[in-house]
Order: sequence, then structure tokens, then C-alpha cells
Amino acid sequence: MHLNINEYLVMKNSLLIRPLTLAIIVTYILGCGADDKKVALPTVKYPDYVLVENLGDQATAHGASDSGHGFSTPIATLNPQEMGKHLVGDAHFETSFTTAPNLEHAELDGLGPTFNNQDCNSCHQRDGRSSTLTIPIGQDRILLGADAGIFLRMSVDDGGCQQPSSSNDFCKNNAVPGFGTQLFHRGVLKARADWQDNPFIGQANVYLSYQYNEISYADGNTVVLKKPVFTIDSAYDTDNIADSAIMQADVRYSPRNGMPIFGLGLLELIPEQAILALADEADNNNDGISGRPNWVFDAIKAKAGVEIPVSLGRFGWKANTPSVRVQSLGALRGDMGITNPLFPDESIANTPLHQSYLARTGYVDTGIDEQGNTEASQEFSDAVVFYAETLAVPARRNVNDEQVMQGGLLFEQSHCVSCHQPDFITVSGDNVQLGGIDAPESLKNQHIYPFSDMLLHDMGEGLADNRRDFIATGREWKTRPLWGIGLTKTVNPAAGFLHDGRADSIEEAILWHGGEAQKSKESFVALTHADRSALIAFVMSL
Amino acid sequence: MNVQKTMLAVSLSLVLISGCGGSSSTETVIAEPEQGFTFDASALINNVTTNIIVAGYESLSVKGQAFHLATLTLLNTPTAENLAAAQLAWKEARIPWEQGEAHIFGPVDALSIDPHLDTWPLNTTDLQTLLETQSGFSAQVIKSWNDDVQGFHTLEFLLFGDGVAENIKSIEELNLLEREYLAATAEVFADYTQLLAGAWTIAQDPNDSNSTPYRDLLLTPSNDIYSSQKAVVEELVNGMIGIVDEVGNGKISDPFGADIDSADTSLVESQYSWNSLADFYNNIQGVLSVYRGELTLNSTDAIGIRDFVAASNLQLSQRIDNEIVDALTAIEEIAGPNNMPFRQAIANSEARLRIQVAIDALAVVQTSLESDVLTLVSSNDWKTQ
Repeated sequence: MHLNINEYLVMKNSLLIRPLTLAIIVTYILGCGADDKKVALPTVKYPDYVLVENLGDQATAHGASDSGHGFSTPIATLNPQEMGKHLVGDAHFETSFTTAPNLEHAELDGLGPTFNNQDCNSCHQRDGRSSTLTIPIGQDRILLGADAGIFLRMSVDDGGCQQPSSSNDFCKNNAVPGFGTQLFHRGVLKARADWQDNPFIGQANVYLSYQYNEISYADGNTVVLKKPVFTIDSAYDTDNIADSAIMQADVRYSPRNGMPIFGLGLLELIPEQAILALADEADNNNDGISGRPNWVFDAIKAKAGVEIPVSLGRFGWKANTPSVRVQSLGALRGDMGITNPLFPDESIANTPLHQSYLARTGYVDTGIDEQGNTEASQEFSDAVVFYAETLAVPARRNVNDEQVMQGGLLFEQSHCVSCHQPDFITVSGDNVQLGGIDAPESLKNQHIYPFSDMLLHDMGEGLADNRRDFIATGREWKTRPLWGIGLTKTVNPAAGFLHDGRADSIEEAILWHGGEAQKSKESFVALTHADRSALIAFVMSL
Repeated sequence: MNVQKTMLAVSLSLVLISGCGGSSSTETVIAEPEQGFTFDASALINNVTTNIIVAGYESLSVKGQAFHLATLTLLNTPTAENLAAAQLAWKEARIPWEQGEAHIFGPVDALSIDPHLDTWPLNTTDLQTLLETQSGFSAQVIKSWNDDVQGFHTLEFLLFGDGVAENIKSIEELNLLEREYLAATAEVFADYTQLLAGAWTIAQDPNDSNSTPYRDLLLTPSNDIYSSQKAVVEELVNGMIGIVDEVGNGKISDPFGADIDSADTSLVESQYSWNSLADFYNNIQGVLSVYRGELTLNSTDAIGIRDFVAASNLQLSQRIDNEIVDALTAIEEIAGPNNMPFRQAIANSEARLRIQVAIDALAVVQTSLESDVLTLVSSNDWKTQ
């Protein structure tokens, strides 16, 4: 949907005072005696999304939308049984897993043996973005450890994949031999054969540093942008890092930061046809914006025996997972190394590292017990998924602020909405499912304002990771939802924006836009300082 | 909110219409009665931030350094007295930390200090292996290891033993490697407490001296973190709710179980030292501090959330104060006449009745904070000036 500001009605849900007041003044001036001079003041017409406060409709959070708890509120309209399940999932989300065997807390063991973090919360701090690491004074890089909410995906380059089918394994990425498709930089104590010299290291050590670049506006103001640079050493497969399988020329990396987890159930219930209707892969309308869906392997369909287990990608930085369930349980198995009913194999199964670990530790941590139980039960898995599906969307702030409203107009005029599609209405009716389970009524038929078209866009060379993900290319990223983005640093003051946390502010994030978003960025850069501030104020109000 | 805005518009229309034509001078404009209450939260925010939150973290830092020194003394002079002194120093450091859980936001999360200091459960499997296979423990090395082999509970385990039959450990049970590990981990612990205090008072990013101290973001709202006074007060109230919920519905209820047969001592916080009831008490004492605006609870004229509530409803403010005090009393009384530790109390039928009283009292506090105080913060009835 391409929006024209003149097509919008002023009033929306009685939320606007200023245009209403203007209308009253116009009435007053025109309504006075016949001899009075009649002056018609222009009526400002705002897009409805500028005026709306409850971005999640009935699933909007109240009483927490100004504070650091803004992402952590359950949807108030859940029924008591659903609310109970949400709260159980909340506790699971903070569960810190330990090395197996843990005789005292057997229900919490199974961590790793290699992993990126020990609990969900460490990468989604307070249900939001993770902290962007800064470099300690006197050092030029920092080792990714317990503080890091970021990791590297990796795969062997194969030139691309256009159409998922059984013959190309549904466009799954090619694993790096002996490693897989995600680099686990941490491990349990004995994860590696050299554990006495390298305790708690995973497949390899990963270090982060930054390159800096200064951007100047025409008015003389400047912004310093930083770009993460990752280096790797101490790979488990060789003493000479250059010989490691992960250091070969055809291996591609993509850093991935933890992202907010509220409103996800609503996003999953956006009708597929509504998303596909926005796709314009060949740019037939010549607006410079394409937008295309990612089609991804769906583990739920595969488990159910569906012949072509492929679904529309909705979640992840490249829309590389189809549902909250696949995303969450994939992270449980991958990021933490906790096997579960959907992903029963350890993340490093069938690698030399895993085989040596099992032999070294007496086969006590195989990921599945004699009865066939995985490390996380079905009940645990369902609750943690439900938690992520049912966190409310924070309400907007400062909706009626003059600068914010002006910024809304500039957001429209800069064509930001070409990708940041303001609104959708979630599906309604019976037999609506989330990840294969009946969806809560609270999530259905909601008029939501996520500000994302859920599609892939070429974002230019500056942001490119040069690694495909299913059919997404190395330059494409999914449009990030903007709802709640203004609360990001209230929830976590050290959080950054974009896929690797490189942007410290909304302004920096905008300046990283390229590719299909280049013109919108140039529009932003050409604005006066006051107008740039207004546009940012609007985004911060979301 | 919508109703009020509609009324504002109608009121404005009346004024404007009355301005038309000369005959309007005889018309009567009915002014709306003033609604809501006025409360400038500047003094409240300043007092709670400065004299409770920052003062609490500075106290933690001081006690963290003292604890580290106590472990060094124990390392070099392993006597029963020095072990007892280190145990006491651990309990002393625990007080400001647990009280500070009434305001878990900002640097304690952003710098991952909460998991660094207070991860639970600890990883006894890896910890035992480390103590059996490694030596020459240093703070620098331990800091790079996983959170579940450092922090409060690892230190507690080393100082007090497994806590099953007793919370007393003889000096003979603490070998040199354990004392080395203890001192190195205590040094890491002390560093983090110093980092936390500095993030509030010097620079929120310790690697960027130009970053704003987190304290200043609360003191001067209308910034990118806190959009208004209301945002800061909402943060404080949600912090109180968070710990009341965690103590009532987690820390106490989880090990308590549905009945005596399902009580689970493995879920008890600070089970090695038998410090659980003190932890719970200090958690709620932290809530009372924010509510009254008093860290030591000795003064009577400090400004806290209580004064904000009183500006709207004096009786309500006193009722909630009483409810928090009742919850504190109920927690205190769990130990009973025999001073029973919590891990034993959950398996004792009489003590379970006292625990249920505490759970109920905390539920009352939580309901009041959510239904009355938070609603008051969010409502349009509150005018800041």
C-alpha cells in the first residue's frame, strides 16, 4: 500500500486534539457574523498511523509503556489459563542451563556442549535487544563471552539458491564441515579435547572490534558510524587457524544480534496473502522498491510429513524462520544447546567435536535419555514459545506532540512507508494456528501497526553480509518492525540497532540504509536539522 | 483518556462560541471542575535515585571490597575466625544486593552484572572439576569463565558447604585451591560491584568516559531513555512490582510447592548459607525503601512513592505502607520460635502455614501496586505541575 497524505482522514479513534482544535477554530472563524472576514485555515491531514496510540490494538501494553518494562507485559486479554501458561514461560525464559549431569537440578542440565549463551534472556535482555559490546580502554578488540548477545552464522558459499525443492534440500545453507551453520564460541568446561588449556571455549574464539567512519550533513553536523569487524582464532579442528575449515575462502559469515520478542504472535497471524500482496520483486511500479518473500524450510511441516516443507519466512533478520515456534526452539537447541521435541539432535551432532566430547565425558550428555526424552520437555518448549507469542506491544508515547506529528508527515514524505508498511489486520475465525497449535483469541482480528512489510529488501553494500539465507541474498534483510523501537534504550540502555548492533541511535540506523532505501536515506539527509529531529522524534514515539 | 479529550474539545468550543456576537455576554460558560491531583515528582526522583539506588550500589561496592579483603585474609591465614569473618562479609554484601533487586533496571542489566553476580543455579559439576584439575586461579581467568562458576552462589558454596545438614564449614574443609578460587572469584565480584556503582555515578558505559552517568538520566527526564517524570516513576513502581512478584510467586512459592510432598529444597535461594529468609526480607525492605524514600528507614520526612500516592489519596498511601510492613513481618515470622531456616521450613507443616501467610501478604502488596499505584501513574489524573 502506498500512502498519500491527502488521502487520510484527520480523525482516528478520537486520539487527536490538535487537528480537532484546528477544525474548531475554522468553524469559529467561519461561523461568526456575516460581515466578518472569512479566513479558512488549512486543515492538516495526517496519515492514520501518525495518530494511533495502541500499536497492538487490544494487544497493547498499558502501565509499562514508558519504562524499561515496556517489552515485558503479557497481553491483558489472555484468558486465565493462557495467562498462567505465559507466566510459566516467563520463568523458563530466564532459566539458566547447566552442564550435564546436574544431579541436584536435572531439569536444568544439558547446556551445550557448545553454545552462545546459557539462557534466553542474555540475548534478549528484558525481552528486548542485547547490549552492544564496547571495546575496553587500552584494547583493540573484545572476546565474545557471557556478555555477548551476538553470534556468527556461517555457511559454505554455493552461488545462491532460487527455488526451494527436495533436490536442493529446500535451499538450506551448506554447513561448514565439522562445524555447522552457526559458530558456537562458548562451551561447557570439557567441550574440547584441550579443555584443560582452553576451558569453556566452544568451537572457536570470536573477537569483536570496530571500524569508524564520519558522515557529514550539508549543515555541518556530523555523525560517526561504526562497523563491527570479527576475527576468529583457537578453532578446535587445528592448531593453525589458517587451516581450519571455518577460515576457508568460500565460508561466509553473518553476525546476528538478539532482537525484541514482543508482538511476535501478532506478526505470525498477519495473513500470508496480505504480505505477498506487497511484494514487487520486479519493481513493476518503478518506485525503486522491490520487496520479496523468503521461502524457508519449516521443521514443523517436515515433522508432519509434508512433502514440500516450505513456508513463508517471517522471523529472524532475513525472515529465515517461518514461526515463533521454529525460531524459539531452534534458538533453544542452537544458541543454548538444549535439545527439544522439535529439534532432538544436539547442535553439533555428527561432528568430531561432539564425538570426542561424548567419549571424554562417558556419554552422559547425549541430548536424549534412554526413554527418548529430550533435554527440554514438550511442556517446557510449549510454555517458552507461548511466552514469546503473547508479549504485548508497548503503547506509543507523545502521540500529540507537535514535533512528533510533524515527523510523521516527514516519515511519509521520505517514503519510509514503502518498506515500513504501517498496518495489517491479523487473521480471524476458527482453526487459526500458531506454529501448529490453536492461536489465542486475543491475537485474532487485531488492527496492528508493526511498520514492516515482512519482506526482504536489498539494503546496499554497507549492510551486506554476503551470505545467503534460504533464498535471501547477501544484500537482503527483512524490514524490521518499528513498533516499540523508541523504548529500546529504556529497556536496555546499552542496546544497539541493526543486525549486528552497530547503530547506537535511530539516526545512525537511518544513515546505514542503502540499496532500495538509498533514496529515503538521501531524503532524510537533505532535511534541515529541525526536520531530521522531527522525523527521529516520530520514530522514537513508536 | 478519550473522554477527557472530548470534554476538552467541547469546553473549547463553548469558549469559542461564546466569543461570537455581542449578545454572548449574557451567556454562562460552565467551567469544568478540576480533576485529578498535582504532584511534582522532581524531589521524589532525586531522593530515591540519590539516597536509595545510588547509595545502595555504593554500599554494595564498599562491602564488595571488604568481602574481597576478607577472602584474601582467609587465603593467607586460614583460621576459623577468618573463615567466619569471610562468611559474615558475604552476608553483609548480600544485604544491599537483595535490597537493590527492588530496582533492577539500567546498568545492572545492560552490563550483564546481574547474571555475573547472581546466576542460579551454580554449576557444581564444572566447579568441582575445576577444583580437582586446575590451579593458579586468577581473577582475570575466572572472569572469562561462565557465570555459573562465579558470583554470589559459587562464593556461598565454597564458604558454607552444601547446606544440606548444616551451614557450618570447618576451616579444615577448605583447602588451598578452594581458598585461591574463593579469593580470585571475590576479586571479580568486587570489580563488578565497583563497575555498577560507577555506571550510575561516573559513566554508564565504563569504556566511554563521555557517556552519561545513569543517575543523571533519571534526575533529568525528557531524554532518550526517560521521556518524562511519569516514565521514571513508572520505572520505579514496576521495579517494586517485579521483586514482590518474584519473592511471592517465585523465590518462596517455587520451593514451597503445592503441598508438603512437592516441596523442593533444591530451588531455595541461598540454600548453602541458610540466608534465604534474610534475602527475602531484604528484597521487600528494598520495596519499602523506595516506597518511603528512606534507605535506613530511620527518617520520617523523606519523599518516596508513598508521597506520590498520598497526593491522590492519603488513606491509600497509608494502607499500602501497612501492607508492605505486614509482608515484612510475615517473612520475618516464617522462622518461628525455633529460628528454622527456610529450606527446613518448607518441609514442616506448621512452618508451611506461616509461609502461606507470607505468600498471601505479598500477593496483597502486589495487587495494590499493580491495581492502585501503577494505575495512578498511568492515569491522566496526575498532573506534574
